[in-house]
Amino acid sequence: MGEIVVGYDGSDCGKAALDEALRLAKGLGDRVVVVFGYAPPGLWGGEIVEHEEAIEEFGEKVMGEARQRAEPSGVETELAMVPRKASQALVEVAQSRGARMIVVGSYGDPPLKGMILGSTPNKLLYMAECPVLVVPAIG
Amino acid sequence: MESAAVPTPDSQSPPAVGTASSGDKGLKKNAIGFVSSVVIGVASTAPGYSLAATLGFVAAAVALQSPAILIISFVPMFLVAAGYYYLNKADPDCGTSFSWVTKAMGPQLGWIAGWTIVVADVIVMANLAQIAGLYTFLLVGWDSAAASTAAVTAVGVVWIALMTSIVLIGIELSARTQVGLLAAEIITLAAFAVVALVKVYSGDALAGSIDPSLSWFNPFTLSPAEISAGMLLAVFIYWGWDTTATVNEETEDPGEAPGRATVISTLILLGIYLIVAVAAQAYAGVDNLIANQEDVLSALGTEVFGSPLDKILIIAVLTSAAASTQTTILPTARTTLSMARSQAMPKSLGKVHPRFLTPHVSTLAMGVASVVWYVGLTLVSEDILFDSLAALGLMIAFYIGLTGFACTIYYRREIFRSVKNFFFVGLGPFVGGSILFYLLVKNAIELSDPANSESGDSWFGLGPPLVIALFFLILGFVLMFIQWRKFPAFFRRRPEVVPAGFLEGEAELAPEPISGGSE
Repeated sequence: MGEIVVGYDGSDCGKAALDEALRLAKGLGDRVVVVFGYAPPGLWGGEIVEHEEAIEEFGEKVMGEARQRAEPSGVETELAMVPRKASQALVEVAQSRGARMIVVGSYGDPPLKGMILGSTPNKLLYMAECPVLVVPAIG
Repeated sequence: MESAAVPTPDSQSPPAVGTASSGDKGLKKNAIGFVSSVVIGVASTAPGYSLAATLGFVAAAVALQSPAILIISFVPMFLVAAGYYYLNKADPDCGTSFSWVTKAMGPQLGWIAGWTIVVADVIVMANLAQIAGLYTFLLVGWDSAAASTAAVTAVGVVWIALMTSIVLIGIELSARTQVGLLAAEIITLAAFAVVALVKVYSGDALAGSIDPSLSWFNPFTLSPAEISAGMLLAVFIYWGWDTTATVNEETEDPGEAPGRATVISTLILLGIYLIVAVAAQAYAGVDNLIANQEDVLSALGTEVFGSPLDKILIIAVLTSAAASTQTTILPTARTTLSMARSQAMPKSLGKVHPRFLTPHVSTLAMGVASVVWYVGLTLVSEDILFDSLAALGLMIAFYIGLTGFACTIYYRREIFRSVKNFFFVGLGPFVGGSILFYLLVKNAIELSDPANSESGDSWFGLGPPLVIALFFLILGFVLMFIQWRKFPAFFRRRPEVVPAGFLEGEAELAPEPISGGSE
């Protein structure tokens, strides 16, 4: 039984990625690991723990949504919140599990905008040691 | 770890996934390396920008004794930084003045401390934007635009918008890039000082040039009024350095003295400030510094380096200003986020952006407030903008001083348990806070006379810097009472105290009150 690692942040493209990962997992008989990476930007300064707690609360909400979304599919699902940047979190989880692939959504930003805003799919293409599937948001 | 399904029967891998369990709050993972913490300490003080913004004003206040002022001003900052270190120890990674003052001295003072941080941030953004706008035009050699208030203000506003967006999106320079930028800044400033000094001794300096003298380091020739005015400016120069004490250094050897990075960043800062101050006044003389107080470094850079090398100095000031903006906006946005989560400020300020995970509402609010303040003030008069630097000094002295007192009060059951505790945890922060409060009061009295301000204007019979500071203080009280009426829970919090024996590892802190006393 293989594992499919999917990045989920509650956005439309995250939903598209999760749906695609569940569909594939069902066909392949795999499990799905839903990952939310949540490193706060900026190393230090101010009330950084409060910032991290705010992000954790958001992450827990998002993970709850992911669980609900995954439930009807019947696919075995694990939820993981990882205190790393999204791309690092996905790569680390995939590597430690020897995952079959990483599935992420794409906001559909043009390349320059993606470069400025920070594009997780783009980073994964260079960092991942397993196949990466990029799913655009539908609609 | 959350798991929605039974564990895999044939799972070969242990759950290597770190999960956010509630006990995982220590943020130990954010401990950073030695070089990074030195860089943070120096970069958040922004030596290039601080010198460019204040050297001329310090010279105007104390003439030849600038080096002396730079040295003695460091004393209160150092003493309070010891307080930061111990407060951080009781409340690891967890805060700054807002949470510490709230814990030690109650929610009302804590609120005002947090508010002061926010206001200081808004004001410094305007001054940073002004320097950034001015130096941008000087960099491209467009002198007529640099002389136009409208043009400089326009670029300044773009600067604030750009810096706010960078923080909002969460764009970060890699650690290595930051080290590189800072090294370039320090080397440029040092080169400027060395070349200037060589020219002084070879007789190639400006007409007002004077040979450096040891008497410049003597503070005793100054009047109390000169000392307090000079120190208030210099407190601003060291502002930001105090964060170093709250950075948790990654140390492989637990027995190693903590705060090594603080010591190193201090030496770098003091060294660069002193050598540049000495070189600048030796090269140009006090009158020249005062005449160019709005852009000392660019004016002197042209003379010292000649074209086009002088542009390097301008770039150094600009990168320094950029770094300073970055180290100002994010920590302050986190302070308002924290206040919002404690119900001390409107709830929306506590939101994080779903994609960028930044405190975007807080960040945006700060950016908008900075632009409004900057443009509004420039419309009144550009001199008022420089007056706001003095107001800024009052605010920094207030909240950093308050934090010093907070340490002594928070640790009051600890300070008589050992000589070391007495001096570093009790007396030091208290004396540091007292010096800062003395500066605050002394300068407030001086500034009540309109003649002692940069603009020379009289507002309600007082000098503009004092009016600015009082305006924000009163506004703060009004906003606090509004919030108090609507959400009284936060304001009912009781001050806490560190139990005797905590520093010796014999006692533990009382558990955290349930997050912010919410609901």
